Amino acid sequence: MRTLEEVQATLEIAKLKEEDLQKTIHCLSFGENVSSADYCLMELDDTLVKHIEAGQSLVIRGDKDERAVLCSGDKTYDLKIADTSNMLLFLPGCRTPDQLTNSQESSHVVHTQIWGFCNSYWELRKQRPKLKKLKKLLMENPYEGPSLGGKEENTENRYTMQDLLERIQASEEELKAHLETIHACQIDGYMRVLDFDYEMKLLGHVTQLVDSESWSFDKVPLKTSLEELGPLEPKEMIEHCLNCYGRRYTENDEVFYALHEDRVCQGVALLLLQNAVKFNLREFQEVWQQSVPDGMSTRLEQLKSVALLDRTSRPETICLLRVEDLPEDTLERFNHLFTLREKWTEDDITPYIQDLCGEKQTTGALLTKYARSSMQNGIKVFNSRRPVAT
Amino acid sequence: MVQILIRGSVDGSSVPEWLLLELQGEMVPRHNSGLAGNVMGDLLYTKEGVPVLIVGHHILYGKQVKMEKPFAVLTKHSCHSQVSLTSHDNINNRDDVTQVPMETNQQGPTATSYSVSAVIKRKLIFKTRPKPIITNVPKKV
Repeated sequence: MRTLEEVQATLEIAKLKEEDLQKTIHCLSFGENVSSADYCLMELDDTLVKHIEAGQSLVIRGDKDERAVLCSGDKTYDLKIADTSNMLLFLPGCRTPDQLTNSQESSHVVHTQIWGFCNSYWELRKQRPKLKKLKKLLMENPYEGPSLGGKEENTENRYTMQDLLERIQASEEELKAHLETIHACQIDGYMRVLDFDYEMKLLGHVTQLVDSESWSFDKVPLKTSLEELGPLEPKEMIEHCLNCYGRRYTENDEVFYALHEDRVCQGVALLLLQNAVKFNLREFQEVWQQSVPDGMSTRLEQLKSVALLDRTSRPETICLLRVEDLPEDTLERFNHLFTLREKWTEDDITPYIQDLCGEKQTTGALLTKYARSSMQNGIKVFNSRRPVAT
Repeated sequence: MVQILIRGSVDGSSVPEWLLLELQGEMVPRHNSGLAGNVMGDLLYTKEGVPVLIVGHHILYGKQVKMEKPFAVLTKHSCHSQVSLTSHDNINNRDDVTQVPMETNQQGPTATSYSVSAVIKRKLIFKTRPKPIITNVPKKV
């Protein structure tokens, strides 16, 4: 251990005057642990710093063939190792000039340990969570309603919330939000998606009841709905259907739902569209309006990101195209879209690339990067940057 | 699928803040004895607060910088059995998830986890070319 005299001798040789210096001198030496490589550095953003200072934990998730991601409670980050040509040493007991008290009269040495050093660190980049796998897993065994007439319910391929957390590269909050988006619910402790026909059957019960009771769509009473429909379907399922297609509120201690016109109309459209490859647009619009509950209005805007219109064909057509069925990777998504259709207008393509946007990224920026634009009949259209077989 | 936990606070105490020293180049121990236990150099501050580092026979001047992206120092732990976490280690500190078994897909019983040993928000960076200190200067000129 160096003594004050040794340090002062060094200062003299280095031609540093003690009167120009602060009184505390840190004498740095390497700790015993330094070469053990059982530590590393990880870069943080402001959110993560607060997270860690609050004592909360993080999880790294990934399968052997996946790239690792880091998850906090509600965010997902891409994890990469960054090399630097600089040496980074970390010192637990070292103070900076603003932290030193100048009350010391004379120079003194503080022996400070270098706890470790690195020349690389983990770099984090916030990214959208990989959630496509979630629907894929849950579709292995969609819930078709309570088992009928003694038929055994399929108990294979069911996943609890915990199972899903172990398989999906996303934070818990993001996972839950997506479960809500795909209308999943918990049945017997397992997270299940509903078979689409069953989901529509439930919705049909609800809308028929609203019609026969002459209720307003904005004021569907929960209690009466459960009483009237309970004999037909499990009460939890009726309530789940109302939660998916309506907004819950309380008035005078009673629970009501305001049905979402857009969601109901979209549901009915999906039911019609899934039965054919393409529909004549005008015929479809007629059937669609007739099929939705009396008093609700259909609009093509309700079908953004679930159906694609072709206004260039004669007659005009419409077909099912759901964004959640498309590839998750950005480049693959664009390739797929350009395979379906060579040239897209911005209005048509935007609903199908909206979910690809990272933080502070716009669809315009994505189009600039992944597509080439040109003018066609006075309208700006986008096509692939590379040859794609249509 | 592997889940590796990074524990925020091991015993509920707050995470300490350490200082980072950033140097250009590599450090090589003088006698090939390894770095552990050896003296590295002296760190001083001028009255104006400029950090000065004397390493071997070099002197470097640096500056103190607040880091745009702070670092966390993570310490690795390898356990030779399946580690179960109790609810207060859970990410969201919720009560209904009590056990998060830590398993790896590999055959063999080791499970890896990390804990945050410190947070680093400020650094002393030495970017200027080191100046040599000439040691055998005769005292009298």
